[in-house]
Amino acid sequence: MTHLELIHIHKSFGSTVAVEDFNLSVRQGEFVSFLGPSGCGKTTTLRMIAGFELPSSGTIMLDGKDLTYTPPNKRNVGMVFQSYALFPHMTVAQNVGYGLKIAGQSKSQIAARVEEMLSLIQMEAFANRYPHQLSGGQQQRVALARALAIRPKVLLLDEPLSALDAKIRLELRQEIRRIQQQLGITTVYVTHDQEEALSLSDRIVVMNQGKIEQIGTPTEIYNEPATEFVAQFVGYINLLPVKVVTPSEGVVRLGNQLIRAGRFGHLNDKPVRLAVRPEELKSGFAEGANNLSGRVESVTYLGSIIRIRMEVEGHLLTLDMFNERRFTVPKAGESLSVHFPIEACWLL
Amino acid sequence: MNTKRVNWWAIFWGILAILYFFLPMYGTLDFSLRMKRGEISLMAYEIVFSDPRFWEGFRYSTIMALITIAVSALIFVPTVYWMHLKVPQARPLVELVTILPFIIPPIVYVFGLIRTFSRPPLQLTRTPFTTDILIVTGYVVISMPYMFRAVDAGMRAIDVRSLTEAAQSLGSNWFQVLAYVIIPNLRIAILSGALICFATVMGELILASFLVRPALGPYMALLGLTKAYEPAALAIISYALTWFSLGLIQLVSRGGTAQQLTGR
Repeated sequence: MTHLELIHIHKSFGSTVAVEDFNLSVRQGEFVSFLGPSGCGKTTTLRMIAGFELPSSGTIMLDGKDLTYTPPNKRNVGMVFQSYALFPHMTVAQNVGYGLKIAGQSKSQIAARVEEMLSLIQMEAFANRYPHQLSGGQQQRVALARALAIRPKVLLLDEPLSALDAKIRLELRQEIRRIQQQLGITTVYVTHDQEEALSLSDRIVVMNQGKIEQIGTPTEIYNEPATEFVAQFVGYINLLPVKVVTPSEGVVRLGNQLIRAGRFGHLNDKPVRLAVRPEELKSGFAEGANNLSGRVESVTYLGSIIRIRMEVEGHLLTLDMFNERRFTVPKAGESLSVHFPIEACWLL
Repeated sequence: MNTKRVNWWAIFWGILAILYFFLPMYGTLDFSLRMKRGEISLMAYEIVFSDPRFWEGFRYSTIMALITIAVSALIFVPTVYWMHLKVPQARPLVELVTILPFIIPPIVYVFGLIRTFSRPPLQLTRTPFTTDILIVTGYVVISMPYMFRAVDAGMRAIDVRSLTEAAQSLGSNWFQVLAYVIIPNLRIAILSGALICFATVMGELILASFLVRPALGPYMALLGLTKAYEPAALAIISYALTWFSLGLIQLVSRGGTAQQLTGR
């Protein structure tokens, strides 16, 4: 059942269009991420759900009620900010209990709920500390507890992990997902980090220049990108300019080498590009697969991955291979053959 | 071995600045203590403190200062808050307006006030009470640069937008946002502004003189015309008041570090 619905949302700032014809239905308990580069309109959309911005046109529905012009303090929507936004003059317990105090709950009710929330984020021992006495990760967990304490209908998170270092980010990411699933709360998460979006979300909305490029599960977004933007923005992808040889069978030509695409639409004389992820490429020749040969340009060690860039018919092709001892890593300047399954590549 | 070079020029200018400031003060203090020929005494201070006009002026100026502080805080806290939140582009204009009391001579300002409010439709100089209203508005304008800057500096130290939005998302209306979140984080800034306001009003002369109110400033000026030692004692008392205010600012500022304010 649709819990949160955004219908034909449009937002302009003067002559600048920030969000254009945004349509989305979010189910109860679903975790949806808005993913896109800076300035794509993802935060503006989130702020419209929170009530901090008014849409130029369109409707926002929550639980079947029109929320478009409801002030932010009447929406019962929890929000977690990138900058934590904890109240500096209040202790952790006071911060978490603030929304309940505003709602007029009794001291005993507030104390019980605060205890419950601090237990949820495993920070019971920090109840009497002030925000400046906490680390960034701890502050963000308190901010999460504060947003959840009021039992919001929807939880909104605006790049909550951006200000944290990589290790804490990973820990907190798992914690956010655990808490979200434990409470079953509908969540909208804004990020420009594709890894965050892929690992956390039930569905991802990829945005670019105020428009939705694609809505799908992480697998759909990664494996079946609908547009060139999605293919390039989410993960790394090889895009090679190819010429169509047999339109009905998806056979194309890169220089003198023939390739068969697993997915392709209606092909005409327009130039097309072959898309294939670096991890789909394997070194060596394989019968029944697409095979390409070229020359190694560079080899880069990335820890568990070795990234090889090779030149094929005047174009650069990247392949990632696991750093396994049994593999012989080619050297720059050597000839190399690679293969990839037909179904692992498609035409854009 | 300590290889740090001594900057003699810095020391020279430092000593010169100290002498420039403290020498006249020492002279005034010394003079104020020599009322009794040939001995050091507090006689001038005793005379000042036993003068009912001093206490009347002191009481009047204190009350006016407190009202000025309250009115200034009520005007500037919401105004600066709104400017930070909704119209940050208006900052240059607001800053220009707030430094006008430094540009326009007080005498011109007072004549403007008297000309405007001593005749209908809004004749405020008719009774002492309405004149007091006029003088408070004047004091608010005169102390505007200090109050505005203090509050503005306080607002800059906190993330006004995020705190406001966080409070709103937790159910707060505008009044609750200001009362429970913004003002508690500005208390040091407001107190700093208030103390400078207090010192300014306590020593103000022109407004009170021309509006004929029994403030401390005119009393000091009048005493200076007829007496020798008592004005010196009053000047030292006035210095002490200002320094006491500044000391209080330092004391309360120590209670809230930048870390506490920003919460980061």
